[in-house]
Amino acid sequence: MLLDLSEEHKEHLAFLPQVDSAGKLSVSSDTVQHGVEGLIHLLTESSKLMISELDFQDSVFVLGFSEELNKLLLQLYLDNRKEIRTILSELAPDLPSYHSLEWRLDVQLASRSLRQQMKPSVTIKLHLNQNGDHNTQVLQTDPATLLHLVQQLEQALEEMKTNHCRRVVRNIK
Amino acid sequence: MEGCSEPQLDAKAKVTNQLIDFQWKLGMAVSSDSCRSLKYPYVAVILKVADPSGQVKNKSFEMTIPQFQNFYRQFKEIAAVIETV
Repeated sequence: MLLDLSEEHKEHLAFLPQVDSAGKLSVSSDTVQHGVEGLIHLLTESSKLMISELDFQDSVFVLGFSEELNKLLLQLYLDNRKEIRTILSELAPDLPSYHSLEWRLDVQLASRSLRQQMKPSVTIKLHLNQNGDHNTQVLQTDPATLLHLVQQLEQALEEMKTNHCRRVVRNIK
Repeated sequence: MEGCSEPQLDAKAKVTNQLIDFQWKLGMAVSSDSCRSLKYPYVAVILKVADPSGQVKNKSFEMTIPQFQNFYRQFKEIAAVIETV
């Protein structure tokens, strides 16, 4: 798969051959910034798509750089690809996830509408994480519903052991 | 100049939030994940409040018995002051 470099992107990258390793850069700061951004985009797109060495070389070839610069860019890509992919994987949308749970077993003795009661209930404080934020949710339920909840969760775990799930997981790996 | 017996900004006007309902219950916590044997009584309250647009929100909170006694004392004071006005 070849990278599709936009005209603007190619213009930004055109700056790269001008970089003199010994001397200062006598161009505007905008040009330098665009050059750096262009390089970043080139590397992240390549890493994101996990393009092969050959495809990377062919994609960069259209920029008309020297043999030496092409080799340098390829090496830069191969050296940093794994780390870039690790960072990119953390950018996926994040649903709230379980952090911890606190529970309390209560007995309701009276309410506005009924006195002399003995009604058991469970109060749960669910601690959740989302994008680094910490949320809490307080829930209350009766023991029968809690039992049902536990059974449902156990059933979900049991599903992992079925042949169908095992086959799918094996094929993804 | 005409006198006003009722102010413009009051609980009946569509400007402040309105208390729709005040529900309470008395419970006793007997066990928790951090302490297996408890004898902790508490008062739980659910307030139903409607904002000026009519949207109803539930706000719940719990009080220990000492906290509730303080809570109750506030209302006793309010009632006493109203008597003197």
